Amino acid sequence: MKASWDIFCSVVDNYGDIGVTWRLARQLVAEHQQSVRLWVDDLSAFVPLCPEADATAAQQMQQGVEVLQWPGQWQSVDVADVVLEAFACKLPEDYLQAMKARKKPALWINLEYLSAEDWVSGCHGLPSLRPDGLKRMFFFPGFGEGTGGLLREADLLARRRAFEQDPQARRAFLQGLRVFPESSARLVSLFAYENAGLASWLDAMAAGSVPTHLLVPQGRIMGDLLRWLEVNELAPGRVEQRGALKVQSLPFVRQQDYDHLLWSCDFNAVRGEDSFVRAQWAGRPLLWHIYEQEEDAHWVKLNAFLDLYVKDLSAPAAQAFTGLWHAWNAGSDMAQSWNLLLEHWPEITAHSERWCLQQSLQADLAQALVLFYRNWI
Amino acid sequence: MKTGKELKPGTVIKLENDPWLVQKAEFTKSGRNSAIMKTKLKNLLTGYKTEIVYSADDKLEDVILDRKEATLSFISGDTYTFMDTTDYTMYELNAEDIEAVLPFIEEGMTDVCEAIFFEERLVSVELPTTIVRQVDYTEGSARGDTSGKVMKPAKLKNGTELSVADFVEIGDWIEIDTRDGGSYKGRAKV
Repeated sequence: MKASWDIFCSVVDNYGDIGVTWRLARQLVAEHQQSVRLWVDDLSAFVPLCPEADATAAQQMQQGVEVLQWPGQWQSVDVADVVLEAFACKLPEDYLQAMKARKKPALWINLEYLSAEDWVSGCHGLPSLRPDGLKRMFFFPGFGEGTGGLLREADLLARRRAFEQDPQARRAFLQGLRVFPESSARLVSLFAYENAGLASWLDAMAAGSVPTHLLVPQGRIMGDLLRWLEVNELAPGRVEQRGALKVQSLPFVRQQDYDHLLWSCDFNAVRGEDSFVRAQWAGRPLLWHIYEQEEDAHWVKLNAFLDLYVKDLSAPAAQAFTGLWHAWNAGSDMAQSWNLLLEHWPEITAHSERWCLQQSLQADLAQALVLFYRNWI
Repeated sequence: MKTGKELKPGTVIKLENDPWLVQKAEFTKSGRNSAIMKTKLKNLLTGYKTEIVYSADDKLEDVILDRKEATLSFISGDTYTFMDTTDYTMYELNAEDIEAVLPFIEEGMTDVCEAIFFEERLVSVELPTTIVRQVDYTEGSARGDTSGKVMKPAKLKNGTELSVADFVEIGDWIEIDTRDGGSYKGRAKV
């Protein structure tokens, strides 16, 4: 059944909001044959993820999705069957009035943030009644039963396996980014917010016995990286070597290429929500820089995920993994915890793949949303 | 008006002209500094109950309620009888109507509570901000800590469990803050 969807995305900072909604919109169209309008209030944040897009266009079709500039002055439009506000962004008042006036009620969904905390399953799918009679449903992504699952295209793992089994594809992809790693080098990607712990991690990799090739897409970590390298700039493609560590900056890549980057690396440092989920689907050891929250609320969320993730690791490996994540998110010394993690590398690598497969057994977020709508009508 | 963040047990909000009593409210930090409040609501006209989630900044119309001072008179099964301290009128509430404060209600308590009335009907009670309760059971001090920072589990007479300072002993009276669901404040002088 083809339903119409209006997805509203307010770009607050970075690429998380647009990253998630663009991915979801594409999947609803491609896999569930839904008709999707994606309203974005800042299209300049969309263009890096979809270079074909025009940041000034009021309306454009991209990969089957109708992408629209969310105007400051709202103009009346027909309300869709499903209205999805991402991360509690506020819908235009006129649109709410149109929802109220709609003969056949629209399903209004607030897509919430990802968290591994226990309370999520108790809140997922619950309604929120407004004094004016409109009802909004809370939809929580998550890692287990009773949650909305994670964004994952149906063929994602098959595509990853095909890529992994084709060394030429990996080589070609990396060459396209002007990356030529030594065969013995450990390939690491780094996408993070500013982090005071970076210097100690780079020191540890530079002093390591195994060569490391660090790939850094453009982003907020660049300042810390340049300071450590003692250079003023690192143009995309350029390589700097310090001891056993080669550092190479990369251009900002589209989502599909970012997946290829994650699949090409042995270890991925990621941040926020979207890249965090993609790194899990890469089935490689990962390091998450969580979005910092007031009153240290992010530590509760970080530890909730860690509790879940390390459950099936041996105690020493779990301790090493947790220690590295804690050090990174505290911005503290990384050297000891990085070296400790390396001691448990085979176990943690195997676990990363197991975790990926285990998570892939639950319905993905887009599928869960479509089902939610079907059950609702 | 009340925001989602301000909802607490005993609040009554108006939804589509019906009054709904908040029986339980759990505040949780969501992502990127937003928060949600999970509530258990009871329709005061129909008795229908439901669970509802609000964003912390959602705006809701609250209902002005009458409040009177009352004390617990006695408990009989799931029925809790409170007495108006001014005119001695007796009012009954079911356990589920006071679910949020139930862990700190016990026979013999002398706290002066705020009884909340909607159209002359008692719908809920609120405990004072600080209450004093006796520890019925706790393990001995493990580390001899006197700072109050090391905590251990303890049980009250009605079976409620909470964390108390390591130096607290069986029979001690403790102060509890009821605003956050009941947390240990310190040892009470009785």
